[in-house]
Amino acid sequence: MLNFNIDFTGEFVAFFVLAVCAIVGAVMAINFTKVVHTALSIAFTFIALAGLYVLLEAEFIAFVQVLLYVGAITILMIFGIMMTKHDGEGLEPPRPLLETLAAIGCLCLFGILFYGIRNANFPAEAAPFKEDNTREIGMQLFTQYAIPFELVSVLLTVAFIGAIALAKREEDPQ
Amino acid sequence: MQHFWDQPLSWGTAGIFAAAAIGVLAFVIFFVTYAIYFERKFIGWMQYRQGPNRTGPLGLLQSVADVAKLLFKEDTIPKKADRGLFILAPVLAFVPSFAVLAFIPYSLNLQFADLNVGFLYYIALSGITTIAIVVAGWASNNKYSLLGGMRSAAQMISYEVPLVMSVVGVVMMSGSLNLRDIVIAQEGYFWHWNFLPQILGFGIFLIAAVSELNRTPFDLPEAESELVAGYHVEYSGFRFAFFMLTEYIYVYAIASLTTILFLGGWNPPIPQLDFIPGVLWFFLKFAVIVFCLFWIRATFPRLRVDQLMGLAWKVLLPLAILNIFLTALGIELIG
Repeated sequence: MLNFNIDFTGEFVAFFVLAVCAIVGAVMAINFTKVVHTALSIAFTFIALAGLYVLLEAEFIAFVQVLLYVGAITILMIFGIMMTKHDGEGLEPPRPLLETLAAIGCLCLFGILFYGIRNANFPAEAAPFKEDNTREIGMQLFTQYAIPFELVSVLLTVAFIGAIALAKREEDPQ
Repeated sequence: MQHFWDQPLSWGTAGIFAAAAIGVLAFVIFFVTYAIYFERKFIGWMQYRQGPNRTGPLGLLQSVADVAKLLFKEDTIPKKADRGLFILAPVLAFVPSFAVLAFIPYSLNLQFADLNVGFLYYIALSGITTIAIVVAGWASNNKYSLLGGMRSAAQMISYEVPLVMSVVGVVMMSGSLNLRDIVIAQEGYFWHWNFLPQILGFGIFLIAAVSELNRTPFDLPEAESELVAGYHVEYSGFRFAFFMLTEYIYVYAIASLTTILFLGGWNPPIPQLDFIPGVLWFFLKFAVIVFCLFWIRATFPRLRVDQLMGLAWKVLLPLAILNIFLTALGIELIG
């Protein structure tokens, strides 16, 4: 189970660095007390995850992830944070019992996941890898998955119109 | 560069990666130094002035002297600023701007990373710089810089949409997001370059690009007359230099991107001229675009804040969508 068989290619080093970055970003997001810092470390995690997608040769997903999550959602979060007041930020009183229990729980979860992943074998044959996978995504979206794709678009349009309607109502001066 | 990726990472290959990165950095810094010099010179001539002409022959060392001055300047951090973020923001702005340069194909064989989704890569990374600008504005704890940062974020997010949409037409015509394939699809005479069949997309792209660069007439984030200097009011010394460097590296990236997407990249205007190396053609077109950016800056007045958003959402975006439909029709009817 602990036999890892790793050769140190450029790809492996990149994977290792990105994985560490993703974890560090997530941990910092939990530990920071200022909300802007939290939002930034979440963005850092998103970028590291995008790097992992690149390593898996899913470039399209990777850059769309950065474009949407880092470029749009994080900026929206930071906007929202800046528009509100944060006077009550500060350290919470420590709760030793809860923290110990949480640590034990985390270790158990890690053990289970580690055991599960190391013992799993993947009998399914990997699908043949397409060279131009961005084109493949487009093909699939507009042939086999056309209807779900259109349904999602309709859903988004409805959400969009709903958001505008809500914003308009608040503008009314009564 | 691609084949080094699959080899074991030895000190040799790591050295090659590092050397290539440093080479690009040196070249880009050289470009930025002289882009600033020529910008000041051109604007000077256009305004019937001399421009810098004292430091070195013809003033050629002016930018070098300016950078040296910035290096030796006292590095101030406001007392009430968020210290960590204040220090982080310039770095966060610079790193993506430099990383963007990895995908540019200068000629058929000179390219660092052959990405499947070259254009998306640019858009995605430039979004990170937007975060850095907002953070810089917020961390300075100054109302002018906060306003500048906010304006900048709103503007960059709005203009990203028409920028992406205007390129969809090009992507449809060449059937690929890969920048190399887009250039290869434009081979032939200069009327095969995308800027003629995609003239609408080209126009939208140029306007949105100038706005993404935060340059006049869209330089509201740093409008001196209203906001002192926008998001970098509190920055001085080398941190300020980093923001300037970022801006000019994006000028470099956008000029390269325009060359690749609309002006045929390394292709000569007529195939009989292909004895001149492609890199030279690339940089010739690149220089024309950079000159046009300076020219626009010297000529146009600044937009008002309320006109700015209206232009992006009510004019450029519908036009970009119209362009997509027209391109689809064109491909169906003409082939």
